[in-house]
Amino acid sequence: MPEPMEDYGNNLGGVGGALLEVADVSKTFRSKAGEVRAVDGVSFTAQQGEVVVIVGPSGSGKTTLLYILGSLEKPDQGKILVSGEDICAPGVDLIAYRRRRVGFIFQFFNLVTALTALENVALPMDLSAVPSAEQERRAVELLERMGIDRRLQRTRANRLSGGEKQRVAIARALANDPQIILADEPTGNLDSATGGTVVDILVRLAREDGRCVLIVTHDESILGVADRAFHMADGRLSPR
Amino acid sequence: MRALKRGFRSFRRHPAANLVVVLLLFVCLTFCLSMLAVKLAADSQTEAVKGRIGNYGEIRSSSGYMMSTFERERGKSEAERAREVRGMSEEEELEERAKTLVPEELADAFSRHRYILTYDKILTAGVTVPGIKNVELSSMLDLSKEIKEGAAASGITEHTFVFEGNTNGASASEFLNGSKRLIAGSFYTYADHLEANPVVLVERNLADENGIEVGDTVTARVSGESGKKAEVKLEVVGIYETVEAERQSQKGSFATFNPAGNKFFAPLSVVQTLNKTPGYVELGSYYFDSVDHTEELREAFAEARGDSDRYEFVTDEADYRLISDPLEKVGKTSLIGFGGALGASALIILLAMAIIVGGRTRELGVLKAIGATDRQVVTQYAVEVLCICLVAIALATLATALVSQGIGDWLLSGSENGRVVEEGEEASGYAAMMARLTERNLYKEGGLFSLPGGEKEEAQLNVVYQGRMLAYGILILLGISLLGMAIPVAWINRLEPARVLSME
Repeated sequence: MPEPMEDYGNNLGGVGGALLEVADVSKTFRSKAGEVRAVDGVSFTAQQGEVVVIVGPSGSGKTTLLYILGSLEKPDQGKILVSGEDICAPGVDLIAYRRRRVGFIFQFFNLVTALTALENVALPMDLSAVPSAEQERRAVELLERMGIDRRLQRTRANRLSGGEKQRVAIARALANDPQIILADEPTGNLDSATGGTVVDILVRLAREDGRCVLIVTHDESILGVADRAFHMADGRLSPR
Repeated sequence: MRALKRGFRSFRRHPAANLVVVLLLFVCLTFCLSMLAVKLAADSQTEAVKGRIGNYGEIRSSSGYMMSTFERERGKSEAERAREVRGMSEEEELEERAKTLVPEELADAFSRHRYILTYDKILTAGVTVPGIKNVELSSMLDLSKEIKEGAAASGITEHTFVFEGNTNGASASEFLNGSKRLIAGSFYTYADHLEANPVVLVERNLADENGIEVGDTVTARVSGESGKKAEVKLEVVGIYETVEAERQSQKGSFATFNPAGNKFFAPLSVVQTLNKTPGYVELGSYYFDSVDHTEELREAFAEARGDSDRYEFVTDEADYRLISDPLEKVGKTSLIGFGGALGASALIILLAMAIIVGGRTRELGVLKAIGATDRQVVTQYAVEVLCICLVAIALATLATALVSQGIGDWLLSGSENGRVVEEGEEASGYAAMMARLTERNLYKEGGLFSLPGGEKEEAQLNVVYQGRMLAYGILILLGISLLGMAIPVAWINRLEPARVLSME
């Protein structure tokens, strides 16, 4: 049965008002060893076209917060408003949210190794039932924008270098033209020069496309590109 | 549709891992399908055999009674026998002549059993035909004076012929089994039997040597009678040739000597008249629906004959068992093999999918993180499992076509070896030896003068592709595919992408 095609057009929110509002979000993990409050009453806002950087040591709860924003984790309490809509409210289509409104970039790239760069970028569009020709056209466009040439586009993901993989991952995150880019340690697995290139791309996505780019990292050198910066420790967020 | 394409792409893009699974499945499924093919072939061939063997039986004087009668007569001198006959009334004389025969009432009553499909009554008798010389018999009589004297004492002369009577010429066993063939004229009919029409079928060589043609008459003499009133003129309505005698003579077999080769076939009522045994037959011959009802028929016969052991109901069940037992044994063995191989296939697909899905946990997490629904992911993996199973079963089907006959033969030879040992053990017993001495052929095998224990049909297994195999193959494909899908379904539903993506 054909899957319904989704509108993947520009999903950027309207001008004015916060694109992302996080209010008193908390998350506690329970195990036999006891409870760990990974995110503790976090609140902040982010505007369209902003680069928001959250720095903090390992285990401070940065990644958990990012996954909560991407709807991969459910918060125990709090609200997350995206263009005014609470994604934690019951009945919200989280699959559609993940497809159309957020794009993930991971430290370990998380490309599907059996697929080519082009197929990896086309994958989110394929899941959203975008026509094949349109998938290819847009994937090629995004990859060229990321500096991935035609030959590399047809190369399997496991044969690409770290920098190339991360650029492909960024292109995949942009495939359905999301409003928010969530980057988890995007330079953590790259050398400094390549990491710098990746950071430049992410900044351009905010400046040129008007997307909200949220970067969580322990690399404080990224703070220089941030429009807004936070420090996270023991699940608590504080401005820097 | 997109999920199907993604699944197929995933199948193509993981050739090494999938090839290992395909190969393992291929081996198990080949064994599984071969065993299934052997099982189906054994079952269908057992059923086919059931349609033509094991469903024949006949009522006749029991071997034990015949032996005791023979022993009793052997103890009497010729003078004693003549004295006994002289003192007999007509009824007693008939009783004496028919002492090894079966009353027609008994044969007729048994034919009304619900499992009996067709029946016939047969009587063979030595009848004198004064105008024709029995060349085969006279050469035997010339062999020695003692034999000639003995034969003469029992009334056998060079003009004695075997007359076989039944109710319908065409249904005589030798015409049915193809050892004799009508070449001119026609068969006598059931009406001829009912009306006791004096008609007869003559053997070709005998007819040629004596210038007999269809429409001619031959004169036979009623047993124990003399003079003109004892003569019965028989019209020749058909001429037959003996196919089996030709075949046996080409082999140089002992069976080339066959005094019944030139026997006469006539309506039962005519032979009863010539033998002076009206109301008696040598045997009642029956075809019933299936070997499965043999026991019930035996019980019905035992009830009908009462306590007397004078008559027996014998069947060709042993011939059926000779074929069906090895086939049933092969069927059982192959069923066990099939179950084992199917279980191994299921285990392989479960383990393989656990390894495959476990190795792609991060990919599953990514798919869910970028917006794939559980259904999309499950469908993708289901297609991949289906492709693996489909390739494996397609290859296995081809391999099955090549090896299943060999496996079937191997299993059959194993089961037949067991049978040979059993027979060997039986043959060493005294009872077995006596049984062989008194063994008589069934009428359907050719009757009185065919060799006892001659060539019997043996079990053969023809493992041919059957339509049912395709249906079972599809069922197996669906079964193992569904089983294989269970792993990704369980895995994907439980998978939390946040946990997976957090792993380094």
